[in-house]
Amino acid sequence: MVDEPPLAGENEVLVDANVFFAVGRPSNRKYDRFRQEVTRTNTVLKLPHRVVGELGGPETERVETALDEGWAEIVDAPDVEDGDALAASDIARRTIATETGSPEHEVEKADTVLAGLAIQYLRDRSVESVVVLTADIPARNGIVNAAESQGYADAVSVCGVSDIVGDDPDDSMTLI
Amino acid sequence: MFTDFEQTGMTTPTDRGRLRADGGSGAVDPPPIDVLNEDSLDPATLARNAPRLETVVELLNQPSLARVYVYVCYWGPVGPPSVMERLELSRSTTYEYVDRLVDLGLVERDESVRPQQLTADPVVVVEQHVPIVITPTVLHALALQVVDEDVEFFVDRHGVGKLVAALRGAGLHAAGKTTYRTVASDIDVRETEAMMIVDALEPALVVGREHDPYFTHLFPDVGDEMDLPAGTALERLPSREERTGE
Repeated sequence: MVDEPPLAGENEVLVDANVFFAVGRPSNRKYDRFRQEVTRTNTVLKLPHRVVGELGGPETERVETALDEGWAEIVDAPDVEDGDALAASDIARRTIATETGSPEHEVEKADTVLAGLAIQYLRDRSVESVVVLTADIPARNGIVNAAESQGYADAVSVCGVSDIVGDDPDDSMTLI
Repeated sequence: MFTDFEQTGMTTPTDRGRLRADGGSGAVDPPPIDVLNEDSLDPATLARNAPRLETVVELLNQPSLARVYVYVCYWGPVGPPSVMERLELSRSTTYEYVDRLVDLGLVERDESVRPQQLTADPVVVVEQHVPIVITPTVLHALALQVVDEDVEFFVDRHGVGKLVAALRGAGLHAAGKTTYRTVASDIDVRETEAMMIVDALEPALVVGREHDPYFTHLFPDVGDEMDLPAGTALERLPSREERTGE
C-alpha cells in the first residue's frame, strides 16, 4: 500500500458516492475540509456512473455540488467484458459477502465496481497508483484483497473519509 | 421505568380474521393466540399498562418532546436552564415540555434544590413477536428530526418504522457488517437516501453507546464493534453556529 498522503501526487482517485454522504451536507465543516483537501491537491475525484446511481433527489445535492464545482467527475464503469476487472470485482464480492455474512449473490453489484475499475486504470492508463475512497468498511477490504490477488497491492491505496480529512473534534456533529 | 407490556401483540382480533384479496391474512404476522389469557387480559393488568402505552405513543408522535426526554435521561440530573441552553429552546417551551414529561411520569423533578433538578429513567419497550424495540437510542433517532433536515426528510418520506430499521442498519454499517447499498435494499429506499440516513443517525449511535443502558437490546450482536467517533470528545455539545461554521 502507498504510504504518502492519499491525495498527493498524480494519482487517479476513484470515489464511491457514499463518501459525499459521509462528509455531510455542503454547509458542514467536514464537507468543506474535504473539498479544500481535494481542490488543494488539484484532484478531480472520479465517480463511476454505476456507483452514483440516480441523481436528482434532494439528498444528492452534495454529489451535484462537487460535480458542478468541478472537483468530481462522472466516469464510465469498467467494461463488462474486461476479464481482469471482472476478476477483481469477483474477489471484492467474495470479501464483502464474507464480512457481511451474506450470500455472494446478495452483494450489491455497485459495491464491487471500484475494485474492477482500479485494476483497469492501472493496467490501461500508465498511472503509477490509484487511490480508492469509500466509506464502506467491507468494500474497502474487498478492494484491498482484489488488488493483492491481481498483483497490484503496492499500487492501490484504499482510504476512508477520515484518512483525507482527519478527525477534527471541532466539527462535532449535532448530538441531540 | 421498565415498560414491560404484558405480552400484548400488535394485532387485534378483527385483524386476525380479516382476509385480504390475495388470500393472506390482514395481520402482518399474527402473534400466537396463547399469549393472551385470563391473566394478561385481566382488566386491572390492561389498565396498568394503558398509561405506559400512552406515554410511549406520545413520545413517538412528538419528536420535540422526545428530544427533551432523551436529553434529561442521558445527561441528567440537569436543571431547566441547562435544557434551555443545550437544546436551544425558549424558556416557555422548555417549561411546557418539562411539565408535560413530569405529568407523563417520564421525568422526575426535584424541587428541593435551586434550580430544580430533572432526571429520567430510560424507557425500554420490547415486543418480541413483531418485533418492536423502543429504547432511548430509538427515541433519540426520532428526536433528531427536530435538528437534522436529513432525518426530517427521511421520516417525511418513509415514516418512523423505516427510521428504526435504518437505525439498526446504521449500527451494522458502523460495525462493518453491511454496506450502504445493502441497507438501501434491505429497507427499500433509494441508495443515496440510505447513505444519507445512515450518516445522519450517527449521533444516536455515538451517544446511545455511552448513555443508553438498553443499547444492546437493539444491537446485541455488534454493540462493541462500531467504529464511531468517541462520544467523550463530543460531550461539549457545541452551539448551532459552531456546528455549522455559519
